[in-house]
Amino acid sequence: MSLFQKTIRELHQMLVDNEISSVELTESVLDQIAAVGEKTKAYLVVTRELALRQAKAADERLRAKRDVKPLTGIPIALKDVLCVRDVVSTAGSKILKGFSPPYSATVVERLEAEGAVFLGKTNCDEFAMGSSNENSGYRPVHNPWALDRVPGGSSGGSAAAVASGEAIGALGSDTGGSIRQPAALTGIVGFKPTYGRVSRYGLIAFASSLDQIGPMTRDVADSAVLLQAIAGHDPRDSTSSPRPVPDYLSTLRDGVKGMRLGVPKEYFVAGMEPAVEQAVRDAIRLLEQQGASIEEVSLPHSDVALPAYYIIAPAEASSNLARYDGVRYGYQAEGAKNLIEEYMLTRQQGFGPEVKRRIVLGTYALSSGYYDAYYLQAQKVRTLIIDDFRRAFEKVDALLGATSPTVAFPLGAKTQDPVAMYLNDIITIPANLGNVCGISVPCGLADGLPIGLQVIAPGFREEIALQVAYAFEAATDLRKLQSPLMRAAAA
Amino acid sequence: MSAVATRYEVVVGLEVHAQVLTQSKMFCSCSTDYLTAPPNSNTCPVCLGLPGSLPVINRRAVEGTIRTALALNCEIPEFSKFDRKNYFYPDLPKGYQISQYDLPFSRNGHLEFDVKGEGRRCGITRVHLEEDTGKLLHAGAIEEAQSSLVDFNRAGVPLMEIVSEPDLRSADEARQYVVELRAILQYLGINNGDMESGQLRCDANVSLRPVGRAEFGTKVEIKNMNSFRAIHRAIEYEITRQTEVLDSGGRLVQETRGWNDARGLTVSQRTKEFAEDYRYFPEPDLPPLEVSRAWVDEIRAGLPELPAARRLRFTTSYGLTAYDASLLTSSKPMAGFFEETVRMGAPAKAAANWILGDFSRLLNADRKEIEQSSIKPKHLQELIELIDSGVISGKMAKETFVVMYRERDPGPALTALRGSSQISGDAELEAIAAQVIAENAQSVADFKAGKERALKFLIGQGMKISKGRANPQRLEASLREKIT
Amino acid sequence: MPEPESELSSREVEHVARLARLGITPEEVVRYRDQLRHILTAIDALKRADTSRVPATAHPLEERNVMREDKPEPSLPAEDVLKNAPSREGPYFKVKAIQE
Ligand SMILES: [Mg+2]
Ligand SMILES: [Zn+2]
Repeated sequence: MSLFQKTIRELHQMLVDNEISSVELTESVLDQIAAVGEKTKAYLVVTRELALRQAKAADERLRAKRDVKPLTGIPIALKDVLCVRDVVSTAGSKILKGFSPPYSATVVERLEAEGAVFLGKTNCDEFAMGSSNENSGYRPVHNPWALDRVPGGSSGGSAAAVASGEAIGALGSDTGGSIRQPAALTGIVGFKPTYGRVSRYGLIAFASSLDQIGPMTRDVADSAVLLQAIAGHDPRDSTSSPRPVPDYLSTLRDGVKGMRLGVPKEYFVAGMEPAVEQAVRDAIRLLEQQGASIEEVSLPHSDVALPAYYIIAPAEASSNLARYDGVRYGYQAEGAKNLIEEYMLTRQQGFGPEVKRRIVLGTYALSSGYYDAYYLQAQKVRTLIIDDFRRAFEKVDALLGATSPTVAFPLGAKTQDPVAMYLNDIITIPANLGNVCGISVPCGLADGLPIGLQVIAPGFREEIALQVAYAFEAATDLRKLQSPLMRAAAA
Repeated sequence: MSAVATRYEVVVGLEVHAQVLTQSKMFCSCSTDYLTAPPNSNTCPVCLGLPGSLPVINRRAVEGTIRTALALNCEIPEFSKFDRKNYFYPDLPKGYQISQYDLPFSRNGHLEFDVKGEGRRCGITRVHLEEDTGKLLHAGAIEEAQSSLVDFNRAGVPLMEIVSEPDLRSADEARQYVVELRAILQYLGINNGDMESGQLRCDANVSLRPVGRAEFGTKVEIKNMNSFRAIHRAIEYEITRQTEVLDSGGRLVQETRGWNDARGLTVSQRTKEFAEDYRYFPEPDLPPLEVSRAWVDEIRAGLPELPAARRLRFTTSYGLTAYDASLLTSSKPMAGFFEETVRMGAPAKAAANWILGDFSRLLNADRKEIEQSSIKPKHLQELIELIDSGVISGKMAKETFVVMYRERDPGPALTALRGSSQISGDAELEAIAAQVIAENAQSVADFKAGKERALKFLIGQGMKISKGRANPQRLEASLREKIT
Repeated sequence: MPEPESELSSREVEHVARLARLGITPEEVVRYRDQLRHILTAIDALKRADTSRVPATAHPLEERNVMREDKPEPSLPAEDVLKNAPSREGPYFKVKAIQE
């Protein structure tokens, strides 16, 4: 087994025991990137020199046994929506081509403080808008399980990197499912924490009231480790919660015995692939065998979550993306006669079609005459969705369902039909609107393509989601599943 | 103007933008110094609107706004929030301004002020808090410039918007409203009232309607008025212009016009064919605010004496006319100068006359504020004392005052006036002191009982007896020694 | 006031694009109009929810009154401020003439 195939926890032990050095480990991962990077196109920028410099520094910490943290010396990939000082950060958009932030995101600073090693910036849908990574302003990402298929999105680059051995762990961002859905489609663990659990400072905004950063890892324990490092209050983000962060590893192995787990009937949606439904139902049965009691629950407003999301997210995005005007940074169109024309051209040429579509939709939803019918109504529906979850969590400890109704689909299959594409997120979106947390953990394969089980827990109860996901993972040998690209390269 | 008064009623509402004096900006920790700092030096990811940056509310700016609102008799709702106002302009880094839309910090207040000694009252619709924009610099006129330069030092500086009801009925009223408002802001220590540097900015909505009609006429927004004088002139100009349009059967268009002070006229800036659509929505990056009654009470308890109260006190305790009191209190530094002069022993009426007369004339000519002058209350008090004790004539005093005003240090001119006639000899001074004590038993007793003011009076009597020629320090020493 | 139910027109797409300072070609106007009509039809399900007595959630958090003290801190170094500027002149950002 090559180093790049191992987990954060395994590698941490080896680093602490001085079996390997961080430089060795980092080189192993960089070699894998060199070997398969052009197949997955998972990265937009590989920060080779920075990574080796950080690995050397980590080795010094390890050698001196001073300030050694769970992530010291571990190579991590960062979704391109995260600002890293002096490293090109574009949110997958041409409008930010070459943008070099003069500051780092809070999560980036926290990982730096832990002594983590940064491999580079991973590809994503432009401004995190998409479910297939085909909206990247640069090039689509390919699924390491089947290169002609999408890895999901928008954190598809981070997902593909972790699934292909091009990173040991990664950070993604999830506005409507952008961590969980690609995790499901690439056979890894993806966790969207509760809104407010992780600071958004330095996260290039898509929809401010929904965006949340989270870990993408090979297994559930790694997810807990990575979340532990990034969670907690940040005075620079007024929406980050001051609630204390529990020790996620201490309760990870407590099991599901005696837990009440709910299965929302609305989550088995029309159009769900039979193999997906079968794998999820099997997973639920397995958890029952582990001692959980299973009951059907109802989240009656699930059907309006998607429409509400497609008003709220574009509305906020239309405002968040107004700053890309070519004045202070980023792309500036040439040949304009005056400033207004330059704005129009810059934004026409700099943004891709999906981003423009959502800017138009969001601007429309906020414009006078439509605000009440669309934006205000969507916010009221949001209240209903929050109430749905609150009522469900009065009865059960966590909710179970599929992450995505389908397995990874072929590249190009849905690009012409935005509505079909939006349906990908139908069972991940409610967690963003309802302000709860959700984790996707692999629960099987259909024709060699991964399927994800989603565990949703109440707001700020990340330890419950981790505990259930871990109990499931531990009861199967799915953890050993590796993408063909990872297996082949290691052979 | 008389024709206007009979045919049309003037309707003016004012929107005043006032910087809230804070150390750091509204939503980031950059310094608020945009007047002297090098261009773009006080900027950071937040106030430059860099991707990923987030705002954090400055508590002092919120409290300053609530303070102002309380001073303007506003209601303070218990729930408030910030909203985004979306529009594009190169001085607006994020493509939206964080402002307040439907739930501002305050509403329904009023402001009372005097116009030529008569009381007026204007409703305050709301006082809300928002962030200022950066500054654009053009070579030449904006219409002709090929390009502009942008300095974001001012971007994100906290700004209050104080919106009046359309209750003002003349250019005089509009000016006096701003004079009073400026005084209140100065008294609160929230804004220094400097209109020229833009720390206080005023826009006016002006319309006319036929006398007796209820609905308003087409309103015109006037911008770019940088002084009280400009506010008055611009509104007068606009009243005349609108009257002429209406009288000739024309129609007014709703538009924004800029005041050109040099040419003395307003110029159309842009016509609002369709209303701007700012697409306000709640700022998702900032949790809302609950303004508890305890917090409001705490802020209210910290309010200082305001101009209206001081005006009343000036008439009752100093016996000033309402008009003089009103003029003196319209500027906090001027009111302070007056009180200090009186506290040093000058009669109130004389001090007021000097400050509002000769002194103000000189200051106005130089466009200076009283606190910038080298003349201090002590100088004025001594000059008044020299006149009252008959050492110099009023005419001499006026001439000397001009000399004193021009000097960096007015002291020598005063000393020269007092001249060689000053009595410093011990024997002579002691005789004066003895006479004063003999003739003012009550004040002597008062002083013995601990009233310091009584000694001032006794010194004044001594100066009078000596016709101002006694050296006041030595006279004081002599009196103290004899009484105690 | 326009009826929310009425079908999105090309003129509205153009108007909204201009509000958003987004240049679009005539072909894009038609394409976006058709796609947005399709999306808006799907979104119309929103109106089915009975929200007559439901308050709006603008903010999912329980936190209130999140504020900082008024303490200035160092700003960015001058070179960092302007290093990404597409056009600059000395210490300033430079923009084209503003004409409407
Ligand atoms: Mg304003
Ligand atoms: Zn700043």
